[in-house]
Amino acid sequence: MSTPANDPAIQEPSAALAIETTGLTKRFGERTALDGIDLQVPRGSAFGFLGPNGAGKTTIIRTLLGLTRATSGTMSVLGHPVPAERSVALQRVGAIVEEPRFHMHLTGRENLRLIAAVRGPDADARIGPALGRVGLSERAGEKVKSYSMGMRQRLGVARCLLADPLLLILDEPTNGLDPGGIQEFREMIRAMVEQEGRTVFISSHLLDEVERTCDAAAIVDRGKIITQGPIAELASGGVARHELILGVDDVERALGTLGASELVLEAHRSDDGIRMALAGEPDSAARVNALLVNAGVGVARLEPVRHSLEQRFLEITARLDEAPSDASGSSTHEEVRS
Amino acid sequence: MTAIALRMTTADLLKLRRKRWLVLLSLFLTLGVVAIIYLVTVIQHASNPGEHGPAGGAHNFSDGVRALALFFGPLVAILIGVEAGTGDASAGVFRDLVVTGRSRLALFATRVPAALLLCWTVVITGFVLLLVGSIVFASGLPTPSASLVLNGLGFMLLATGVLCVISVAFASFTTSRPGAIVTLIAWQVVASPLLANISSLGSARKGILSQAIVHFSPVSIEGHRGATVSMSEGTALIVLVVWVAVFLAIGAWRTRTMDA
Repeated sequence: MSTPANDPAIQEPSAALAIETTGLTKRFGERTALDGIDLQVPRGSAFGFLGPNGAGKTTIIRTLLGLTRATSGTMSVLGHPVPAERSVALQRVGAIVEEPRFHMHLTGRENLRLIAAVRGPDADARIGPALGRVGLSERAGEKVKSYSMGMRQRLGVARCLLADPLLLILDEPTNGLDPGGIQEFREMIRAMVEQEGRTVFISSHLLDEVERTCDAAAIVDRGKIITQGPIAELASGGVARHELILGVDDVERALGTLGASELVLEAHRSDDGIRMALAGEPDSAARVNALLVNAGVGVARLEPVRHSLEQRFLEITARLDEAPSDASGSSTHEEVRS
Repeated sequence: MTAIALRMTTADLLKLRRKRWLVLLSLFLTLGVVAIIYLVTVIQHASNPGEHGPAGGAHNFSDGVRALALFFGPLVAILIGVEAGTGDASAGVFRDLVVTGRSRLALFATRVPAALLLCWTVVITGFVLLLVGSIVFASGLPTPSASLVLNGLGFMLLATGVLCVISVAFASFTTSRPGAIVTLIAWQVVASPLLANISSLGSARKGILSQAIVHFSPVSIEGHRGATVSMSEGTALIVLVVWVAVFLAIGAWRTRTMDA
């Protein structure tokens, strides 16, 4: 299987973004499922699309793939405007929408043959490698109705690989996988991004999963993008802060020392000692330690704070819940962005 | 047919021929029914030759052709056509086909030849058994002429082919397997004969599909071909073409526009 990193098609200068939408709106009658979505997914990254159930995650995927029509707005996939150039755009896109579905009376290999026939002659040669990649070579001759949910998920990924995709769009891909399967899946996604240069767009409500797998993410709720960016920035509330928790024998003296140092952006007493933000890079933590020791403060603990995307997500959605009844209004949108 | 269309048709045929219940039921309605008819008539002839004639011969062949072309064959055509039209949607894989970027019209179009291939394979199998039986069990009666055999085959392929194409298209339109099967069988077996016998409908009855199909029957019964409504060959042909074209159009439209 060729790797798209070496494929001239991936170097197309016209599109640094794998997915781009502007003002994308989708209404079902009176209900607005997508409300002016502006989304930018950079190429060569694993991008998480996070949101609670019913937030609009699957709707945007279905709209991007031409399964349903947008009410308004523009979108492009791999640099091609859709739906105008949908056929070209989707030639190198593999997608699992909702749960992967198959003809149950056919074997795994036969199901892939059906898709390969539609994709074109090159796809046939990819069936064997794709099955091997997801660890289904030995079970490929069995009917899909005998497969577990996890095996069907893996067969769904194999089906995506028939396109030799520059972009994979995976909707809740770890549903039905056991912990071992989730770990394997995570490693496979990272390998696709880091070694093969593919872009992977994962929609999920599993924050921890996105945090571990993805480089960047967008948080969506009630049909609106609440915020998007690199995972670390999202988790820290928009600014990449490096924070430390300090355990010291003299809190007052330590706070005085830290307050006078240019290494420190902010420091305050907390339940577990002192919580502080570094002014510089994480490696300046060692200099903070030396500073305190030189000032005669005993340092028993110095621990980087790991920002949790889950914590941030809950903060954002809680603020939306507290907002006035029109939660999808622009004021709420701007507030959480800021 | 381009290479990609051929591959897609082969893939659609794979889906159909792997449906064991569909193939077995279709074979029963053709091979099975013909075999049962021969078995009964052979036993009747053997037990009472004076009352019951031989099972074979040209006359019995003609009866068999009519039964295959106008009743059992269309049932097979409807079953296979509906399965071809609804299989992807009911399995939930239509969206996976759409996201390949292949045109929806192409996805619809390749269902038709795949359904025809399976349908005609099954009805031809039944036809061959009918022909062999008409010769083997002729017992001195005249056997079917080459002309009757070829015309009978052509008529059967026309009758089942038209029904099969319409079934694929109608099923693609409804996307409901039970709904499409019930509607098509009810129309073809119940409603059409009833409407054809309502003389007050006048020439409007020329638009009934089954009447147009029967017009091409090579088998005469009591001096006519079994049609209740008389029409010219040209009119019958136009009726068939309009039925097929209209249903293909609505099936294609639905496939192109529906949410996947």
